[in-house]
Amino acid sequence: MATASQRTFVDRFPDEAAVVKANFLVAFVALGIGAFFGLVQTLHRTNIVRVIDSADYYTMLTGHGVLLAIVFTIFFLCGFFHWAIARSLDRPAESKLFSWAWFGLMTTGSALAAIAILGGLVPNLGISADVLFTFYAPLQAHPIFYIGLAMFIVATWLAGADWFLSYRVWRKDHEGERIPLQTFMVLTTMIMWYIATIGVAVSVVFFLIPWSLGLIPSVNPLLTRTLFWYFAHPIVYFWLMPAYMMWYTILPKLSGGRLFSDPLARVVFLLFLLLSTPVGIHHQYLDPGIAEGFKFIAMTNTMFLLLPSLLTAFTAVASMEHGARQRGGEGYFRWLGALPWRDPAFTGMAFAGILFAAGGFSGMINAGMNINYLIHNTLWVPGHFHLTVGTAVALTMMAGSYWLVPQLTGTKLYSRPIGLLQVTMWFIGMVFMSNAMHRAGLAGIPRRTAEPQYQNFDFVTPIGSIFELRVQIALGGTLLFLSVVLFLFNMLLTSLGEESDRPVDEYLPAPLSGAEGSPRILDNLTMWTGIAVLLVILAYTLPVAAIIQNGGGLFGGGLPVPATISAGLDLATTALTGAVNTLVGVIA
Amino acid sequence: MRLTKATSLIIIAISVPIAIELRTVAGFFNIELPLIAVAIIEFLFLGLMFVLYGLYGEKDNSVSP
Repeated sequence: MATASQRTFVDRFPDEAAVVKANFLVAFVALGIGAFFGLVQTLHRTNIVRVIDSADYYTMLTGHGVLLAIVFTIFFLCGFFHWAIARSLDRPAESKLFSWAWFGLMTTGSALAAIAILGGLVPNLGISADVLFTFYAPLQAHPIFYIGLAMFIVATWLAGADWFLSYRVWRKDHEGERIPLQTFMVLTTMIMWYIATIGVAVSVVFFLIPWSLGLIPSVNPLLTRTLFWYFAHPIVYFWLMPAYMMWYTILPKLSGGRLFSDPLARVVFLLFLLLSTPVGIHHQYLDPGIAEGFKFIAMTNTMFLLLPSLLTAFTAVASMEHGARQRGGEGYFRWLGALPWRDPAFTGMAFAGILFAAGGFSGMINAGMNINYLIHNTLWVPGHFHLTVGTAVALTMMAGSYWLVPQLTGTKLYSRPIGLLQVTMWFIGMVFMSNAMHRAGLAGIPRRTAEPQYQNFDFVTPIGSIFELRVQIALGGTLLFLSVVLFLFNMLLTSLGEESDRPVDEYLPAPLSGAEGSPRILDNLTMWTGIAVLLVILAYTLPVAAIIQNGGGLFGGGLPVPATISAGLDLATTALTGAVNTLVGVIA
Repeated sequence: MRLTKATSLIIIAISVPIAIELRTVAGFFNIELPLIAVAIIEFLFLGLMFVLYGLYGEKDNSVSP
């Protein structure tokens, strides 16, 4: 019979807990550095305090984006998924060595990319990567930046292979059983990631690395942009899906209840698998080399993506209401008061959900082709993604850490009040900053600019003043940085605390509506993967063909021609006819 | 529910975006609210909430997990 101490994750799976902790450690170091860069930027561009050269702003901006949006989120995700697979399959990873191998490769790749970025602050070094998070041509980085990124991506593929291997071995012993929900979520997310990262892998390996090494004289910039966005919209869901996983499987428990519906959660993750990738062109509404028709199709696909997010909102709130009523909550709205608001893990996730709703609405503006023109490349866009990846994802991850880290260290959380102050400070800071960013974007203030202050020109805002918006952004950014400091302080002291037999209640109750009532076809991952690939082929074949033809070939160099749908159609038809003729020739 | 430190913090947090957007809402009706007015309204709101909770708040029925 299991003792109390054996119920803790670190006692049941010590090797896996070590891998998860290592992933979280890298994630939190990246969070600290990235947040510091964020503080420097926010004070610089608002002209409150300028401690760096404006030329170095772009180095810091790249560091902020890469360290937070790639290193922090994905290391956390890998640690969280490793925990979820071991917990939900109730078995350790098949090879400890393999787990450490992908972690080592990811860390090495991240270190190379970070060296290339930080090298920009030391001019004599001759290494820089001031290419921003959106690292497509024509901006060029040092080769080690791209090589580091390639290693990082390959390492995530290996991490996915680790989890698929665990699932395959589990399946042999559990014929006919439904895939445990958390494992299902990990596997569908990773399938989506495999499909999505093909774009960035092709871009980096075949174009950007040879170009940065001088092996090829030029690239087709629009092709590298398109391949980047082919990857960089689904990466949004790669960030979001672990947050959703926490909202579906952990938040209901923290609320005091159970998940409302397991089948609905599966449907949502399948919809993200199908719809995340064939939409990347909606980031390119103002790219002149892509025909309007393709952009319209991308916009339509994007609007379908609202469905799984709305389903999630419904399920998360229904689960929270169920939890509140289990705790004695009553009435139409009074049940909200019965929720465990003193628990930073719960409150952080609830705040993240509230701001994600706001981020969803501003995302609809981004996704609409006509109104996108109003806010494209303005400060509105950072305002939007600081609500989504910067809050829905980052705040959920920090809040989840208050519940997860004690399971890994075997120690109790150092301070719940500090945790509560931290998540609240993040919420308030983000409201100040992102609200002002959205409004500044509507006034036309550009993004990716160190000094958005111009001579003989003043931006005008219909309500308040531009000065107020600047102060709001600086105040919000400062609160966010202080919030990260509190979080890291709490995590550090938690990990140094005394071991406890039961540091946290880690039991996750079964859903109200279980998987047994849902169609088994939901678990047919091969079929869903096939459909996802088909959708990508349908969405991207013609636009990519047109970009190659119009942009002077795979490696550019030719004169661009106006974009038309027929150009892509011509190239695709020619290629198809050639292939059929060859096939007929071989058969004949 | 009795007013606790945690509840106070949550109420403050939730009231901040409402206060910020109060100016936008007023703007729709051509009412230009100065920043100081919003700050005063926010402080008054918080004071009112604390008084109401102190006077009529229910007994705390939440259980820490």
